[in-house]
Amino acid sequence: MIRQPFSRRNLLAGASALGGISFLPGLAHAKGSIVATTYPGTWEDAYRGVVAPMLKKKDDIDLELAPLFAMDQIGKAKAARGAPPFDVFVLDPGPRIVGMDGGLFEKFDPKKLANLGKLPAGFADDVGVQVSAQVVGIAYNPKKVPAPKSWADLLKDPWVSRLGLTGFQTTFGTSSLIELSKLFGGSLTNIDPALAELKKVLPKIAAVGLPAAMPGLFQQGQCDVMYTNTQTVATLKGKGIDVEFVKPESGSIAFYTTMHIAKGTAELANAYKYLDLVVGKEVQEALTKPPYNFVPVNKDVPLPADLPMKSLDEMTKYVEHDWSKINPLRAAWIEKFNKEMAK
Amino acid sequence: MGSRSLGMTPPSLRDTSPADGGGKRFALAEWQLALPLALAFAALFLAPLLLLVGVSFFNDDKITQPGFGSWVKFFGDPFNYKVIGDTLLLGVKTVCATIVVGYPLALVYLDLGARLQKVLLFIIIMPLLLSVVVRTFAWIVVLGREGMVNQVLIGLGLISEPLRLLQTELGLVISLTQIEMPLMLLPLISVMSRLDPNLRDASAALGASRWRTLFTVIVPLSMPGLVAGCLLVFASSTTAFISQTVIGGVRLIYLPLLIWQQSLVVYNWPLAAVASLSLVVSVLSVIAALSYLGRRSSGHLHG
Repeated sequence: MIRQPFSRRNLLAGASALGGISFLPGLAHAKGSIVATTYPGTWEDAYRGVVAPMLKKKDDIDLELAPLFAMDQIGKAKAARGAPPFDVFVLDPGPRIVGMDGGLFEKFDPKKLANLGKLPAGFADDVGVQVSAQVVGIAYNPKKVPAPKSWADLLKDPWVSRLGLTGFQTTFGTSSLIELSKLFGGSLTNIDPALAELKKVLPKIAAVGLPAAMPGLFQQGQCDVMYTNTQTVATLKGKGIDVEFVKPESGSIAFYTTMHIAKGTAELANAYKYLDLVVGKEVQEALTKPPYNFVPVNKDVPLPADLPMKSLDEMTKYVEHDWSKINPLRAAWIEKFNKEMAK
Repeated sequence: MGSRSLGMTPPSLRDTSPADGGGKRFALAEWQLALPLALAFAALFLAPLLLLVGVSFFNDDKITQPGFGSWVKFFGDPFNYKVIGDTLLLGVKTVCATIVVGYPLALVYLDLGARLQKVLLFIIIMPLLLSVVVRTFAWIVVLGREGMVNQVLIGLGLISEPLRLLQTELGLVISLTQIEMPLMLLPLISVMSRLDPNLRDASAALGASRWRTLFTVIVPLSMPGLVAGCLLVFASSTTAFISQTVIGGVRLIYLPLLIWQQSLVVYNWPLAAVASLSLVVSVLSVIAALSYLGRRSSGHLHG
């Protein structure tokens, strides 16, 4: 069969298809859209499942999510040099400061949030807004080991031989090692005592791994004790794994996850609408429920029952770390951890 | 015996040396045809590589002061030599393990009928169809403290305490051997199935034992495939970040972990660039040595 090379009809169809394509971005823009980062895992599930449909319904904005860890977001934004690949960041305290130093954020105006009054004082500033809290302590498997009481218990039997250890790559890992160090004469800026104590029991430790691998190793029974946040514990529990959260004697560590508007974004107004929705009662309440298990920041949202605190105010008594002091030391700490832990 | 199937090599596996190629008529067209790929290669690989070299010659993580600071820092630290050594050694161990397991399998493949060959080939290729992340996590389930291996050994009463296989180099080499096996077997099989079956019969007729035939006839003739397989496995296992960190843990430190930490955790890109270039250069030099040996051995064979 010989195919007709060209016909007027074909040409017409082709031309209208091309026209249609060039027309599409205009359409998308008219409705409004925004690209926001989210952490991979529970955060991504929650934002895709809860926040995106609500944003579409309330403001008719399409939410496109880029699942990236905090450090990767900073890396990508830095590499893009002025043309941000996304409009909104979600970050932990350490990367937040790196982003501030790198001038990656648009100046934030808290007054543009209709829900500002529902947030505890100081939760929004000219850098960004706190959207969730994280509480860090010790997770253990109650069927395998007794409940540990303090950070120091991690270095003793029977826990040490079931311990899953992570380094300074994450906020919760760094914070936990600092707290451990404090018990042996260290401080916020001196983690050497923790490394020295860990080195003494190193051959006994069950696993030293990347943070992302730890929940999997815990699930497989490779380790039965680790430091982590309440959200990971709740998520593991939701999967039917035997795990409980312990608040160490010296106190749990608290820090806040913040969102920031990327400098040079073309979607400034939509970004504020998105952030206002995120801290609003509807989203915050939906995200506290399983399987998401977020710690809310909105005063109207009651705290979930299995958290170690009764109210957000109680969290002010938790241990908080000054990341502007930690950040400059972290590169050296990571190097030191490599050398001390290496086989 | 079994030689029946040897003639059924797919055309793609046949030798395509220039001698039986198209001849001079296509000389001009050939390089023109390669242009798009060459340009893409230059833009997407060569240019970033040059950028990487450029970035490595800065002293600070803000990339503002040019200098040799990062090179001095990286190579002034004896720890990094150990990391480079361990990385190369991991590659060597994995290559040895894939040869020990893979070579006999390739020999078995040769003696199978056409239908079974297809089945075996599918089994060999199958791991490539799975994401490396899935393969790696599957190995956690197998090697873990409560994993299959330990449960079987405890069940048989051979051990009372679970063996530590995860987070050891042994466990890492075991899993990398499986993960990288297709890269060894595919070139090996493609070369070995081109061997003239008469050579084996001739060797036997001249009174050589099967072992002697293997080591004096088959192994030397399969050298090009073996070398190609070694190159692929070596390059792939030394850079297997996911398997190295998930199965090996972070107490076993190889160059990819250092590069990841410097580039994505502490943002010291110049230092990450130096570490990356050390990985590229050290892996490339081993590969160059291997392929030189391979060419020498095949040159020796063909006169």
